[in-house]
Amino acid sequence: MAALTIRRRAGASGAGPARRATAAGFRFGLPLRGAVLALSALYFLVPLLASGRFALEGARGTWTLSAVRALAHDGALWSSLLLSVEIALGAAAITLALLSPTSVWVNLRLPRLRRVLEGLTLVPLVVPVVVVVLGLYGAFPPAFVTSPALLALEYVVLAMPYSYRVIDGAVQSLDLHTLTDAGRTLGGGWVQTFFRVLLPQLRTSLMSAAFITIAYCLGEFAMASLLGFTTFPVQLFQIGTEQIDEATAVSVFALLLVFLLLATLSLLGGKRRVARGSIVAGGDGTAAEPPRPARAGRS
Amino acid sequence: MRRTGAASGQVPRRGALRLRRLAPFAGIVPFLAYLVLFLGVPSASVVAAAFEDPQGRLTWGNLHLALQGTYLLSFEKSLELSAWSAGISAVAGTILAVALASSTSSTLKRLATSASAVFANTGGLPLAFAFIASLGNFGVVTRVLAGLGWNPYDHGFDLYTLTGLVIVYCYFLVPLMVLVMLPAVESLRREWFEAASILGARRRDAWRHVGVPALAPQLLAATMVLFVDAFAAYATAEALTNGAIPLVPIQIGTLIQGNVLAGQQNVGDALGLAMILVVAASALAYARLQRRTARWQR
Repeated sequence: MAALTIRRRAGASGAGPARRATAAGFRFGLPLRGAVLALSALYFLVPLLASGRFALEGARGTWTLSAVRALAHDGALWSSLLLSVEIALGAAAITLALLSPTSVWVNLRLPRLRRVLEGLTLVPLVVPVVVVVLGLYGAFPPAFVTSPALLALEYVVLAMPYSYRVIDGAVQSLDLHTLTDAGRTLGGGWVQTFFRVLLPQLRTSLMSAAFITIAYCLGEFAMASLLGFTTFPVQLFQIGTEQIDEATAVSVFALLLVFLLLATLSLLGGKRRVARGSIVAGGDGTAAEPPRPARAGRS
Repeated sequence: MRRTGAASGQVPRRGALRLRRLAPFAGIVPFLAYLVLFLGVPSASVVAAAFEDPQGRLTWGNLHLALQGTYLLSFEKSLELSAWSAGISAVAGTILAVALASSTSSTLKRLATSASAVFANTGGLPLAFAFIASLGNFGVVTRVLAGLGWNPYDHGFDLYTLTGLVIVYCYFLVPLMVLVMLPAVESLRREWFEAASILGARRRDAWRHVGVPALAPQLLAATMVLFVDAFAAYATAEALTNGAIPLVPIQIGTLIQGNVLAGQQNVGDALGLAMILVVAASALAYARLQRRTARWQR
């Protein structure tokens, strides 16, 4: 406090009110912002571009598709991709089936436990994957540990910190009480209300959660490798030990694909939300988020 | 709670009331059971095995073994790597979050957010390959720099070292930091800044006395998350160094893959337990720090 008072006098005589008034809050000015963003773009894009160049490089600096072509005929790679996709779809289905009812239930009936549950979904972030693998070998019968189903079941847990956040955020933005009351007044049971009233409202977010889970599964290496499954990343690692340019080619394409998917999804999600917000808010197009439901008289 | 009266239409008896109060918890049982089965049970099994010898008798031997020689060295290396990566990423990520929050383009922000979500989960192989392709001995960037007369490998740089790993780890830790800090930075209110300005604060003072303290709890929390994330990472290090740098997750991976000396079957579990302890300690430190910050803020 004292420091601020002293500075006040200094400021009053020195910088003057004009300089203070133009300050735009806790933000960076254009030059600093530009420099930071440019440096970051450099750090994040150069390795990607380098991978692209590396993957398409022929002898003595020419461009060639030979690495890509070799991969297209790599049967082992395709079968590993198939395994990964199967596991990913399984994990996404379990994620939606397990997490969306849980989130709806907690927000509707146990709002006090919302924070606790959110905390629980973050626990997988702090238990190292290698430790989970050790535990799986110790706790489950060998027949179960060697089944790809286990990998899908575990990926649900590992991706939960991300998927639950997306689902729970969307559920929280719904006016749950009004929607369920409406559904039940119209004669629907809990199950019917959940499937026919709530789920359609959550469609975009559930899709995001599914995609996040799928993206996680398609990229996860540690658990798959240590459990001995030849998933896509494990096969990629195998290729990488012999043909680093081929491996780089695949990984850069896979990464671009995932990025495009998620970017499209988030842009679509943003547009949808604006549109819905404008209807509810009575034509106020600036509402970037759906208005929070009034909670008066509830809970 | 709202429906209790309307649904039954009569005063419920005592037992019924207790049942009704517990009924809502039934809805989260499947979720809890799932988490216990697929995360709780394996973790507990590691903790239990850490104190057992191969014949199933209680022993301290595994832990004793896990805290000497190569294993101790791997802990030192892992801690060093995680501390550096988390520290650098926390600072860089916060600065980047402020820069993004300063931008007026909502498209840029949305794009940056989804890009961060992707990059934060990029760890693993693509990341290792991308850095080998750019900064490896024959990487694109290395060759460009060498062409300009400054080959980093002639000046002490090596991607396949701890320094290299720090550079690579920042690639997924900085975006994670951005994801966590962007909402916090955007919640810094312009009015607070103006209030500080009116009290005579210069830009630097406003940041030091208002902005940074307001961000501190989030910042410390996120740094702990980054630390744990770096500490537990396996895939990137494995793909980049092929196990050349002894890190704890790599050691455990090697043990899982069957490179075990006779009589030391459970030393991996002891390492796992030690990892859990390090993580728990970070969580505890975080809770403490945050409580102190919160008290100081009041």
